[in-house]
Amino acid sequence: MKKILLVLKNEIVTLISRPSFWLAALGLPLVGALVFALAGWLNRDAAAAQTVSQVVAGPQTARAEGYVDLSGIVREVPASVPPGTFVAYPSEEAARAALEAGEISAFYIVAADYIQTGAITYVRPDFNPLSASSDQSGMFNWVVEVNLAGGDMLFASLVNGPLDVQVTSLAPAAPQFEEDSPLGFLVPYIVTLLFYMLIISSASLLLGSISKEKENRVMEVLLTSVTPRQLLTGKILGLGIVGLAQTVIWLGMGYTLMNLSGRTFDLAVNIGLPASFLAWGLVFFLLGYAVYASLMAGLGALAPNLREATQATFVVMLPLMIPLFFSSSVFAEDPHGPIATTLSIFPLTSPVAMMARLASGGVTWWQPWLAVLLLAGTAVLIVRAVAGMFRAQALLAGQGFSVKGYFKALVGK
Amino acid sequence: MIKILRVAFQEYRRHVFNKRFLLGLLSVPLIVLVWVGLFFLIVSMENNTTPLGYVDRSGLLADPLPAPDPEPPFGPVPMMAFADEAAARSALEAGEIQGYYVLPADYLSTGKVGLVYREPVKGPARQQFYDFLTVNLLREADPAVAARLLEGGEITTVSADGSRSASTKDRFNVLLPMIAGLAFMIVMFTTGGYLMQAVVEEKENRTMEVVITSVSPDQFMAGKIIGDLAIGLTQIALWGLFIVLTVLVGRNYAEFLRGIQVSSQAILLLGVVMLPAIVMVAALMAAIGATVTEAREGQQVTGIIAMPVWIPYMLMALFIENPNSPIAVVLSLFPLTAPLTLFIRVGLTIIPAWQIAVSAIVQVAAAIAAIWLAGRIFRLGMLRYGQRLKWREIFVKN
Repeated sequence: MKKILLVLKNEIVTLISRPSFWLAALGLPLVGALVFALAGWLNRDAAAAQTVSQVVAGPQTARAEGYVDLSGIVREVPASVPPGTFVAYPSEEAARAALEAGEISAFYIVAADYIQTGAITYVRPDFNPLSASSDQSGMFNWVVEVNLAGGDMLFASLVNGPLDVQVTSLAPAAPQFEEDSPLGFLVPYIVTLLFYMLIISSASLLLGSISKEKENRVMEVLLTSVTPRQLLTGKILGLGIVGLAQTVIWLGMGYTLMNLSGRTFDLAVNIGLPASFLAWGLVFFLLGYAVYASLMAGLGALAPNLREATQATFVVMLPLMIPLFFSSSVFAEDPHGPIATTLSIFPLTSPVAMMARLASGGVTWWQPWLAVLLLAGTAVLIVRAVAGMFRAQALLAGQGFSVKGYFKALVGK
Repeated sequence: MIKILRVAFQEYRRHVFNKRFLLGLLSVPLIVLVWVGLFFLIVSMENNTTPLGYVDRSGLLADPLPAPDPEPPFGPVPMMAFADEAAARSALEAGEIQGYYVLPADYLSTGKVGLVYREPVKGPARQQFYDFLTVNLLREADPAVAARLLEGGEITTVSADGSRSASTKDRFNVLLPMIAGLAFMIVMFTTGGYLMQAVVEEKENRTMEVVITSVSPDQFMAGKIIGDLAIGLTQIALWGLFIVLTVLVGRNYAEFLRGIQVSSQAILLLGVVMLPAIVMVAALMAAIGATVTEAREGQQVTGIIAMPVWIPYMLMALFIENPNSPIAVVLSLFPLTAPLTLFIRVGLTIIPAWQIAVSAIVQVAAAIAAIWLAGRIFRLGMLRYGQRLKWREIFVKN
């Protein structure tokens, strides 16, 4: 027991005395704080905001655009369009001359057979194909449609669907976020990314520490006075504590920033994650860390040097990446569908997937408990399997790493 | 000369006839396949063909025309009329419909509707109901006009001189240069990575000492660079083949692949900007390899070079909105950020010729400088262990 504590203490001390640790722990939130502060400052100071937008967007050119109507459909520009947005020209030559004189920034040509083909040509000197979906082009499309519909604006709008849809949901648990709210999409996404990064970064610390000691032969000296199992336990606990401390720092800074940003942006930022979310976060982080850190330790024990070990981490981390692939689509759109539910209960993906679902709210009460139970069981099995791999023989050998050998050792052969 | 080729061939053979290279090569098509699969999975999840109900008090749907068929791959959603909300609600609770719309009596003057569901009704089903409304709204109109209103116009963007045009349907033309730019970036870093690895590894396990007895440092370096560039080009050629084959086969099935145009500017950029950039990064990586003493240290230093190269990728949204903004122009001229910036911009705009010319000159000059630097660093650092090369030593003449 005393030796475990010794290993633990040594790990913590070496890690936190490294400048790179503090750089990651404090630097990352600091960068975030800077970005927030800058954005807040730009929001307040109009002159600065304009300078930045000029650098980013370029000098504002004449926004007026011309059009040439060969079809005779466009009789008038509806009153809702700001006057001067679209200027009529009798022919393409006239429009081209106006374009060259800088009176308009671009022009449209409505084809003579517009009703049959729907063709509108958009002549733009800088040729940006995506500008055809911009607000102004959309407005021109609308101008043509209103005229085609006989000048009745309400009728023309109704052609594109109802103006206002009042939604009533009969689902038992009301969704936490309003539909189309960017937060409903962002919060699960950020939570997924955060948990992925936390688990990976603390697990990689373990990998680095083991394979480094193996590489520079410190391991040989260590093993004369500590058993492999004591070494593994001490390292996992020590690095886990450091990882947890880092999590707390990040979350605390993130929370403060969120509060501050609410004031800077005058947004009603009310994410309202329940308190139980933090408790689940702690549990899933610890168990997820136990599973992935042990798997990484196994890698470290088998690979001859850090380079080979890092190349092999992909094999171990693959299950954790799967929820990331889905994060922007499945977890945001359908957090309680079959795919999301399966991923959030399956032990190797649950630390990330369940947190993403909990962040979007409305998870059935028994699902997190089941996930925790399965994850805890897996953690026990994997820690035991890896402890078996942690034998002096494996630790001291300089064999090359193979994925096959790794899985064989994991099942105890 | 023979010695250079021998070094190059050895380097090429060592990496290409290797399981790991093959895996890296296959991983790109595999990732593409996974993304396509995911896309279809998500589409199929959106594809809910349970009927939609509606309660109409406005009289618009009293004797309805059927809804037009949706665009594939979405299946048609049947529309069911209900006399009152109670009937619709009980059908919803029985799971016969996925939701129902309520059209109030004044729908035609306010445009307001109500929607009731248990699970949110997905976009494709909503669109089908809107199309259903539109068809009935337009039943009095001239059929040709009605069809046009239903479908909307199609804007084709044309450059002022008429040399390039793109319809709203050909989005792929914008993406293609970006994809090509990314592929080249990956190749740039694998090539550079191999080069660095080669130098560091041979230094670390002291092979260098033996090799240097029979090859001059310049020959050694030249051979390595040629070998690793050949590896990168092999990779590009095979990926290019994969893309061309996909496009040729896919043309028969997917419409958006038919409108592909490769602008001459993009091809010009490949030669005058991308190629020198690859050489420059490779040389810089080799230089890093010669200064550091361990492979791990090298990986950390690589980050310093990789960061500026990826900046344009992070600013992609800005470039898409304003491809000719000052920040885009500045990044197009700076050696490390130029390749990706230019490739993002080339699909979106016509890049002024002077920018390409300046960028190419800067790029070639940077590549030559990088090679000179790499050669010098290599000669100074190749046999030095346990001690890093200092910047002062590199630039002081001795």
